[in-house]
Amino acid sequence: MTRLTRAFGRPLALLILLFASLWILGLIAAPQVIMIEQSLWRMERPEGSAEISVRIDGLYNQLDVLALDRSAVEAEADASIRAQKLDTSDVALAALEAEIAGLEATESTPVKVYTLANFAQMGSAHFAIFLKTIVASLAVTAIALAVCYPIAFAVAKLETPQRAGMIMLALVIPYAINELLRIFAWQMILNYNGPVNALLGLFGVEPIPFLESGTGVFVAMVYAYILFMVFPLYNVLETLDSNQIEAARDLGASSWRIHTRVVIPHARPGIAVGCIMTFMLSAGSYAVPYIMTRGTAAPWFTQLIYNRFFEATNWNVGAAYALSLLVICTLFIFVMMRLLKVSLKDIAK
Amino acid sequence: MTGQTTGMEIELRRSEVRFGSFQAVQPTDLRIAPGEFFSILGPSGCGKTTLLRLLSGFLDPTAGDVLIGGKSMVGTGPSDRPTALIFQNLALFPLMSVLENVAFGLEMRGWSKVRRRARAMELLETVALTEQAGKLPAQLSGGQKQRVAIARALAVEPAVLLLDEPLSALDLKLRQHMRAELKQIQARTGITFVYITHDQGEALTMSDRIAVMNHGRIVQIGTPDEVYDHPDAAFSATFVGEMNVFDGKVAAGADGFARIDTRLGQFRATNPKRLADGATTLMFVRPERMRLLDAAGVAENRLAAVVQRRDLEGAYSTLTLQAQDQVLTVHLQHLGGADQLAGGGDAGF
Ligand SMILES: Nc1ncnc2c1ncn2[C@@H]1O[C@H](COP(=O)(O)OP(=O)(O)O)[C@@H](O)[C@H]1O
Ligand SMILES: [Mg+2]
Repeated sequence: MTRLTRAFGRPLALLILLFASLWILGLIAAPQVIMIEQSLWRMERPEGSAEISVRIDGLYNQLDVLALDRSAVEAEADASIRAQKLDTSDVALAALEAEIAGLEATESTPVKVYTLANFAQMGSAHFAIFLKTIVASLAVTAIALAVCYPIAFAVAKLETPQRAGMIMLALVIPYAINELLRIFAWQMILNYNGPVNALLGLFGVEPIPFLESGTGVFVAMVYAYILFMVFPLYNVLETLDSNQIEAARDLGASSWRIHTRVVIPHARPGIAVGCIMTFMLSAGSYAVPYIMTRGTAAPWFTQLIYNRFFEATNWNVGAAYALSLLVICTLFIFVMMRLLKVSLKDIAK
Repeated sequence: MTGQTTGMEIELRRSEVRFGSFQAVQPTDLRIAPGEFFSILGPSGCGKTTLLRLLSGFLDPTAGDVLIGGKSMVGTGPSDRPTALIFQNLALFPLMSVLENVAFGLEMRGWSKVRRRARAMELLETVALTEQAGKLPAQLSGGQKQRVAIARALAVEPAVLLLDEPLSALDLKLRQHMRAELKQIQARTGITFVYITHDQGEALTMSDRIAVMNHGRIVQIGTPDEVYDHPDAAFSATFVGEMNVFDGKVAAGADGFARIDTRLGQFRATNPKRLADGATTLMFVRPERMRLLDAAGVAENRLAAVVQRRDLEGAYSTLTLQAQDQVLTVHLQHLGGADQLAGGGDAGF
């Protein structure tokens, strides 16, 4: 704070602090807090609602008895006595009805109860989808890494800077196209009667149900998120001094050993960032599985979350599901950082 | 030291390197004796590093042959040559400890961990770095890093050590110290050293022989004394040490001497190229070979000049003289006391 004041002067420093706190509050804290809050409660029938309904039943019986009494009173001959008796019975009836209405209101007005039960709502079928989503996202991440590492290395270390720039630009251009368009394009390419199957047909291969088997989701996801793997890798590999590679070779290292001992250790922060981004995007992707499978293959966990919110209209369970996914993603970040011995500081770079 | 290696002979036969249409190294014949300390001296961009890469195996000649130890090395990669390269920026592995750096070459040769650690410690002992074995390169001083690079290269017991301006990043004192240390290591190991530098001081103090290089061509090869005292090309004359240059014409040449007419008068000089009478030529005079004379002195090799400046360098002082339209430099030994210099005088050699 004092440093800020010294660097920018008091008014500007306060403004910066204000924006910083708004940023933290609005972009980081608020959404999480709301999701967590939402996931921790549900509407329940009030406590003792069973006794209340028993009492309501009892009161209804009394009401019936009173009504019966009242009809008996109507047989009374003396008009004045009849009027008097009717009055008493009407008052009693009204009182009873009021009590019943009150109790019924209490019984049917659910109360907000804080509970962890939302998290326990996940049945084994949903849990299986949850696990499948995580495993599939890990696989997407692994494939993206396997595809991107050689590309990033070749572009960063084997090409001249000008050519490297051109290649990276060529990689970016497809990503200027709307994500939905790209996914739909892949959907059509991999369709049962799409061009890929047509091509395979030329070689006498029976059409393969890429979309229905879930393969399509995989392909489209690797395609959709590959950029988030390539760029961190490329950036970090570009900073690797080529002399290090040559020094290792000069000292007798094979290409394999150059990569395992020199290049990959250097690339660790980039690998961590790329894997984290790809994993989070895959695990959290809604459009890709939705468009690619159209319900013909087992859903992605995000689709379940969406359903909880908008079809089952159970926002609390939806929030709990969403939070579970968030926890796994956060866990993944820490595991990656641990595995690759990367600190938050390295990642920020 | 265990496993004493001895140096190998190096031979270039009409070796040349072209990058596209750019000729980086002109066809070169060169023979370096086993165990020789051979320097290649030339300005930045003259092709020194390219020549060294030819020897280390990162580059194959566009034409011609490269032999080490009598065997053609064309097509043999850096890891399979009996050479080790010390890079201009050292290229230590920043994520490995000093010990791991030194042991790297042995690790690549499949030595067991125990053996290579023991050997690396031995090598670190020879460069007085055992204390630093566990540190990372970034934690070392410039001179220490330098010694780690040397130990790392020596670990693979090369027959030829190739050094690419290894001292250029050090300050003057350290540079002088490291010169002595390198010379010592070379004497002790008997390895052939090919040492690249643009610093004539380094080349003159350390080398058995020097090749002076310019524009991809070796213009002179000789011992330091030969190169300094008998430069046989205008480039080596001006690049190695300082020179006063006079345009002139040979008036009369005989017995390896010549009288030369210049705008400042006639001088007698050696005529190593045995130029004929009437040839236009350049006459070179070292600043330390010139003296200041009384107005009445010897008659030969004498010119009139005005002293413009005197800069005390320590052991000597540099005088800047104006002789008609030509600026001359004279080094005078500094013997203490202010040499009484008038504003004008005669100079001779
Ligand atoms: N791989 C290359 N491709 C094209 N030109 C190069 C390459 N390597 C070096 N050169 C050129 O060759 C010349 C000599 O370079 P270099 O051997 O590094 O000089 P030095 O080490 O003497 O400073 C320079 O003009 C440089 O631009
Ligand atoms: Mg160089």
